[in-house]
Amino acid sequence: MADYDPVLLEIMNSLLSAVAEEMGAALGRTAYSPNIKERRDYSCAVFDAGGAMVAQAAHIPVHLGAMPMSVAAAIKRFPQLADGDIVALNDPYAGGSHLPDITMVSPVFGAAEPGHLLGYVASRAHHADVGGIAPGSMPLATELYQEGLIVPPVLLQRGGELDEGVLDLITRNSRTPGERLGDLSAQLSAQRLGARRLQELAERHGRGVLAEYMGRLQDYAERAALALLAEMPRGRFEFADTVDDDGFGTREIAIRVAVEPRDAELLVDFTGSARQVRGGLNAVRSVTLSAVYYVVRCLIDDPAAPANAGIFRRVRVVTEPGSVVDARFPAAVAAGNVETSQRIVDAVLGAFSRALPGKAPAASQGTMNNVTIGGTDPRGGGAFAYYETIGGGMGASATADGLSGVHVHMTNTLNTPAEALEYAYPLRVTEYALRRGSGGDGAQRGGDGLIREIELLADATVTILSERREGAPYGLAGGADGARGANRLLRLSDEDVELPGKVTFDARRGERVRIETPGGGGYGTQ
Amino acid sequence: MLSTRPDPSPAVLEGIERLGVPADAVIAHGTTVATNALLEHRGARTALITTQGFRDALVIGRQTRPELYRLSFPPRWSPAPDELRFEVNERVAAEGATLTPLAIAEVERVLDRVAAAGAESLAVCLLFSFANPAHERLIGEMARARGLFVSLSSEILPEFREFERTSTTVLNAYVSPLMAEYVDRLEAGLGGRALWIMQSSGGILGAEAARKQAVRTLLSGPAGGALGALQVATRAGFPRVIGFDMGGTSTDATLVDASRGDGGITRTSEGSVEGWPARVPMIDIHTVGAGGGSIAWVDAGGALRVGPQSAGSNPGPACYGRGGEGFTVTDANLLLGRLHGDYFLGGRMRLDRDAAERAGAALARRLGMAVEEAAEGVIRVADARMEQALRVISVARGADPREFALLPFGGAGPIHACSLAEALRIPRVLIPRHPGVLSALGLALADFTADTSRTVMVRPHEQSPEGAWRACRAAFAGLEAAGLEALASEGFETEMPGEFASPAGVLERALDVRYQGQSFELTVPLEAGNVGAFERALAEFHRRHETRYGYARPDAPVEIVNVRLTARGRRAKPEFAAAPPASSTDPAAAQAGETRMRSAGRWREAPVYLRDRLESGHELIGPALVAQEDATTVLLPFWRARVDPWLNLVAEAANG
Repeated sequence: MADYDPVLLEIMNSLLSAVAEEMGAALGRTAYSPNIKERRDYSCAVFDAGGAMVAQAAHIPVHLGAMPMSVAAAIKRFPQLADGDIVALNDPYAGGSHLPDITMVSPVFGAAEPGHLLGYVASRAHHADVGGIAPGSMPLATELYQEGLIVPPVLLQRGGELDEGVLDLITRNSRTPGERLGDLSAQLSAQRLGARRLQELAERHGRGVLAEYMGRLQDYAERAALALLAEMPRGRFEFADTVDDDGFGTREIAIRVAVEPRDAELLVDFTGSARQVRGGLNAVRSVTLSAVYYVVRCLIDDPAAPANAGIFRRVRVVTEPGSVVDARFPAAVAAGNVETSQRIVDAVLGAFSRALPGKAPAASQGTMNNVTIGGTDPRGGGAFAYYETIGGGMGASATADGLSGVHVHMTNTLNTPAEALEYAYPLRVTEYALRRGSGGDGAQRGGDGLIREIELLADATVTILSERREGAPYGLAGGADGARGANRLLRLSDEDVELPGKVTFDARRGERVRIETPGGGGYGTQ
Repeated sequence: MLSTRPDPSPAVLEGIERLGVPADAVIAHGTTVATNALLEHRGARTALITTQGFRDALVIGRQTRPELYRLSFPPRWSPAPDELRFEVNERVAAEGATLTPLAIAEVERVLDRVAAAGAESLAVCLLFSFANPAHERLIGEMARARGLFVSLSSEILPEFREFERTSTTVLNAYVSPLMAEYVDRLEAGLGGRALWIMQSSGGILGAEAARKQAVRTLLSGPAGGALGALQVATRAGFPRVIGFDMGGTSTDATLVDASRGDGGITRTSEGSVEGWPARVPMIDIHTVGAGGGSIAWVDAGGALRVGPQSAGSNPGPACYGRGGEGFTVTDANLLLGRLHGDYFLGGRMRLDRDAAERAGAALARRLGMAVEEAAEGVIRVADARMEQALRVISVARGADPREFALLPFGGAGPIHACSLAEALRIPRVLIPRHPGVLSALGLALADFTADTSRTVMVRPHEQSPEGAWRACRAAFAGLEAAGLEALASEGFETEMPGEFASPAGVLERALDVRYQGQSFELTVPLEAGNVGAFERALAEFHRRHETRYGYARPDAPVEIVNVRLTARGRRAKPEFAAAPPASSTDPAAAQAGETRMRSAGRWREAPVYLRDRLESGHELIGPALVAQEDATTVLLPFWRARVDPWLNLVAEAANG
């Protein structure tokens, strides 16, 4: 017989998730940049008084596993956080993941008992420009300083009073300060809303009950993780996959992983993975943790199990400091979050496919196809920075074909509608289509990738950070690999130039950038 | 009467016959013909023509997967399959200039292929066609000349964002031919009586418009209830209510605020069916998968869950005695005395308490509880799910539930009303006289409406307010002509545009406004008049942004994204006479018996009243049960209720 109230458990799960969902809805609707408002590149979560994540909204997986590190970094820097404080940060080496992701953390105190800490609410949003050497702040760089403004944990709001100086400092370092101000305001209002909602929850159910059930929800997720462990055979299951290159000549960067189920914990060991590289493909440890937690959560069969810190309790991740999965300052990291994270998922799922045949799918496109285009808008004379990631093929599973033209694994951002994009930027979408036949053959076919072709209506700097241009997404159980992706520049002279996977270049008005994204791997022999 | 799916028209016509409806009556009809055709994939074979490079925009959608932590998905069905999606070489720029003209010869070629593929219906959605519809119209004329059923995006939804516009247009193409046939059959059997169809917006559509724009009916199911709630609430003196309709598998929540001066009902254009957006106005209703038939279960983590699996009406809850084994919300209500086995459906259907006990015992064992504790748990979880829906349409929209009354309807709504009100701190509950048939009342009261809109993208700060107003007014002019025509065709008298004193037919205007750079718009009403009214509407935008999102930026530039026009034909509202007051406040004469009711872990004796015998002025003290043919009402301990002159029950928590 349970020693807790299973009814209240479900109620608290719903209500705490609703706090995060409501924060997300407010953030998305009031933000200014297409990346946040159209593409919803943000996440929100609720934490207990100890900083452990208890509930999240279904947003971007790569954010969610990493946000606990943000809360921990905020607490470490400001042990005496008070009511009305909001900490902001983006430092990958102090709670962040890559510089465009600005995270805000608010402690929440009881409204009736001001001294009593109920927990924290946090939000992370990808801000399309935070300075650095290229518009969009997703450059090909060799050290963190080049990637943009570094914000260590700072008090953006103190006792309810916004620190305008800190806000100015951040916006002044962006190429699009007005947009930054709008987005940061939206994020601040989401924080305040989340704090208010959590206070109301405590008022209604009592803070003791709230605290107790924040713990019980983690116990619940922990039990789900243990159920997965019980299902796995004992042994050490190894797999390796590679990141194509770092944009600076280092190729075939190895991600090695061994998954070792034990009775009380799952060991995920990245020992033997490549050392950190010169280009920004390095993942900080929080990104690696996100990828591992994502895979474990996916493999838990109960669709309703909460994705919270309870899962983390039973998963031990070993990384070597200074490796590409645990980079050290001042390694560049812009693409570690968006690209290497996907390869870590591919490697970990590969290892699980050996432990639990039939349960893990073939590799998905394994990249987010990051495209950044920036320059001066001839229509108004202002600077613009367009950032987009492009979906591709999902890997086939033992039971179903992979989906075509979707974001996979660590992200789930929306696209920018062609009509919204053309209102906002001097760009024109000339093709947006499924890349037919790019999914790997098999008893179940991999999903097809996408084609997105954009014409520049102004001279601009273009940066592409993409993967699976050399190594293909693997098929499984005899299924064929998915097609590799390709990047092209169609010049005014009709010349068709194949571009590398990672590249920054100046393009002329009238030229077209064409991205063909990878297909998913097939599953089983036909 | 059982409905005769898939073609319900014989049942409808038989019903009208039986009721002896006069020959000059207007038949207002709410139908799910289009909804079911879509849900069951029985629509027309639909082709789509797009701008070159965009024939996949429909299936790519917004490039997201439906769930985050899931590695495998069933294949996604598309209303316009691969072999029926075609492209034409043409291009229009954002501001409407033609970049690549459309060649007639190419249209002929593509229409040949559409025909060869066996299409029955055609959707056309070209980029920026709302800014310049010439190319779409050309294709439309040529396709109609060939006898095809045609839906143009510039006619169905002239608003930006190509995926949502394409989806809405394709859905219309997919369901309209079926709706047209259905309307034909009904009209043929109605002997000249006028036929009106309910739309998702809560307005009535003429038969001809329903044939062409059936997408407007896709989400019309819960619309009648919202209108009925508005009517009952306003008459009872509660201008602000949160309505919730608890059915067998789901619960719909909606917010009505007649004090707001915009008609009281909130509308949105962000609905979708099966993941396909249908961006036509619909009443802002939030639905959760918890209803009377929802089945309780214990998940792997040991938590008690309710739904989304439902026992439906067949076999139904265990207590229906038709072989259902799942323990449902209805079974829990029965075991707790919140539903009485002798009075269900006016006593015409006996409920099997033993069957409910057996189903409950299985659940209770898994939870390690007594049956009655498990049953109370089921009610609390179901209430929590419904509470979430109520919060979404109130708190999440910036409305404080404490300023509202709760108005439950549907057969089971009044059972859960008091406890939900306690959870949301809603001080009052208004139980309508006939909770089970409130939707039909709404249907009888609905106005005729024709909604039109157009994307304009006007930026007032880049020109004078007069210039911006002129640009909007020019866009309104086209919409007004169509609106007046729609009113005239249904026989509503109208005055000239701008003269708003007209008797029945009126034009209502609104603007979709946002801060320049934002991506979501708020709709603000625009009064008749000149630039002054225009500026007041913009001021209203800042106010609403503040209410909904907690901040406003009055100095920041705004843009007007869409102009909207509703042509409304007002219908005479039936008068309801007040009932004579009872001689005393004591409802003893209405009492039929006693029962035991459990709440908050305690059993208490409770009187059972018959709703039909309650008179105006009677006062009830909780705990009490009120039984009637179409619903059951639970009055919890510490609640009291009085019967108002329209025989609604007005319940209040005794301790305020």
